[in-house]
Amino acid sequence: MTQLSISHVGKTYADGTEALRDIQVRANEGEIVAILGGSGCGKTTLLRLVAGLDTPTAGTIAVGGESIAGTHPAISAVFQEPRLLPWLKVGANIAFGGQQLDAIERQRRTDALIERIGLSGYAGRWPRDLSGGQAQRVAIARALIGHPGVLLLDEPFSALDPFTRASLHQLVLGLWAELKPTILMVTHDVDEAVTLADRIVVMKPRPGRVHEIMTVDLPRPRDKLSSAFEMMKRRVLRTIDRSLEQEQPPTARPIGPSGTSPWL
Amino acid sequence: MKPIGFIIPVVLGIAWEVAVASGLAAGRLMPPPSYLLHSAAALAKSGELWTHVSATMTRIGLGFLFGAAAGTAMGVLTGASGFLRQLLDPSIQALRAIPSLAWVPLFILWLGIFETSKLALIAMGVFFPVYLGVLSAIQGVDRKLVEVGRVFGLTTMGIALRITGPAILPAWIAALRTGLGLGFMFVVAAELMGASEGLGYLLLDGQQMGRADSILVAMIVFALLGKACDSILVAIGVPLLRWQDTVRARL
Repeated sequence: MTQLSISHVGKTYADGTEALRDIQVRANEGEIVAILGGSGCGKTTLLRLVAGLDTPTAGTIAVGGESIAGTHPAISAVFQEPRLLPWLKVGANIAFGGQQLDAIERQRRTDALIERIGLSGYAGRWPRDLSGGQAQRVAIARALIGHPGVLLLDEPFSALDPFTRASLHQLVLGLWAELKPTILMVTHDVDEAVTLADRIVVMKPRPGRVHEIMTVDLPRPRDKLSSAFEMMKRRVLRTIDRSLEQEQPPTARPIGPSGTSPWL
Repeated sequence: MKPIGFIIPVVLGIAWEVAVASGLAAGRLMPPPSYLLHSAAALAKSGELWTHVSATMTRIGLGFLFGAAAGTAMGVLTGASGFLRQLLDPSIQALRAIPSLAWVPLFILWLGIFETSKLALIAMGVFFPVYLGVLSAIQGVDRKLVEVGRVFGLTTMGIALRITGPAILPAWIAALRTGLGLGFMFVVAAELMGASEGLGYLLLDGQQMGRADSILVAMIVFALLGKACDSILVAIGVPLLRWQDTVRARL
C-alpha cells in the first residue's frame, strides 16, 4: 500500500496554455480518490503527470514519500481504451504488466488473474477476438499483475454500456479489496465516482484547479437505490454547479428546469 | 493462388493457340503456347535456361539482401532519431528522385562492367521502398501503445524491440515485397547494361536474333520467379502477422 501526494502541481504547455494550476491532492494508502469534472478541466493531464507520461511545470508528485520524475514501478494504469498490444495473446498481454516479476511468478499470477476476471480459456486468444468489456478486463488485469502501490484509472469505463460498466465496477472493487492499491481515477460520471470513491475531487476548468474535495462516507457495498447514495450524488452535482457558476458570467448560467441542476 | 486465378491466362493461351493453328494469326512475332513450351524445354534441356535463371536469381538475391538491409537500417535510424532524420532524409529523398537508369553509366564508371555494378543497381532499387516503408511505419506507430510500454517499465530498447518492432512488422513486410518487385525490375536493367548470362541477357539476345520465343520464355520465367519469391515473402510473414485484425484475416 502506498500513499500518493500531489503538491502544488501545475502544467503550462510550451504555447503558453495553462492546463493545471496549483493542484493539491493526497490519496492515502489504499484509498480510492476520484477526480471529477467536465471536459477541459485537466483531469487526464493530471493523470498523465502522475503516470510519468508528462512532466509538471510546477510542484511535485510523491509516491510513498518519495518524489518521482517519470514513470515509476509502483504506479500502474488503465487507460480510456484498453490499449492491448494486438500482437500478444490475452495471456501475454496480462503478463506484459509484470515486467519486474520472474517468469514463474508472472505465469502464476497471469493464470490466477485470467480466472479472476472471468476469462478462463481466453489466454490463447488474440485481443481482436475480445469485446470492449473483455478487453478492458484484460487491461485491468495487466495493470494489477505487478501488485502496484498506485493504480491510475483514466475513464476506463466511459466507452462501455451500462451493464458492462456496472460489472467492471464490481470487478475493480473486488480486486481493490484483495490487493488494496491506492486508486486515483478520473471520471466525468457522478454515479461512478460515488459508487467507487472514498473521496471526490471536483475540478473546475481553464485552467484546471481543485474546486472542492468531498468525502463519500457511504458504507460498502454501496446501494445505488438508497436515499443516502442519491443524496450524495445530489451533493456532488450541486458542487459541480457551484464550480461552474463561479466560472461563467451571470447571463451564461447553466440552464435546467427551475430549481434543478442541469446535470440531473 | 486459387484455381480461379489461372482462368484468364489459360483461356488467352488456348485462344491464341487456336488462332495461330487455324491461320487467323501469324505466330512469328507472338508464338503460340505450344511453341513457347517447346522452346522452354529446349533451353532447359541444353542447361542454358538454368544458367540464366541462376545468374539472375543470384544477382537478385544478393542485391535484395544488401538493399533491404541498408534500407531497414537507415529507416530505423532516421525513424528513431529526429536529428538523423533531419540530417539524412532530405538527401535520401533527393537521391530517390533520380531516375534509376541515370545511375547506370556512373556505376559502370565507378564499379566496372561486371557483377559489382549490377548488384549496386539492384540494391539501390530495393533500398528506397524499404527505407521509406520502415521510416513511415516507425513514424506511424501508435503513441498510445508506446505509452503502455513506458508505464509498464520498458526501457527505450525494450520499447524498440517489444512495441515498435512488432508494430512496424506489417509495413516492413509490405515494403520488402515492393523492394523485391523493384529488384526484379532493376535486374533487367542491370543485365541489359552488359551481361553474358541472365534472363535479361536472354531478352536482349532474343531481340538481336529475332527470337520472339526466347523473349517470351524469359518474360514468363521472370513472372513465375517473381511470383514465387513474393509468395515466399508472404509465407514468411503469415505466422508473424497472424494477430492482425484485417479483412483478409476474417475471410
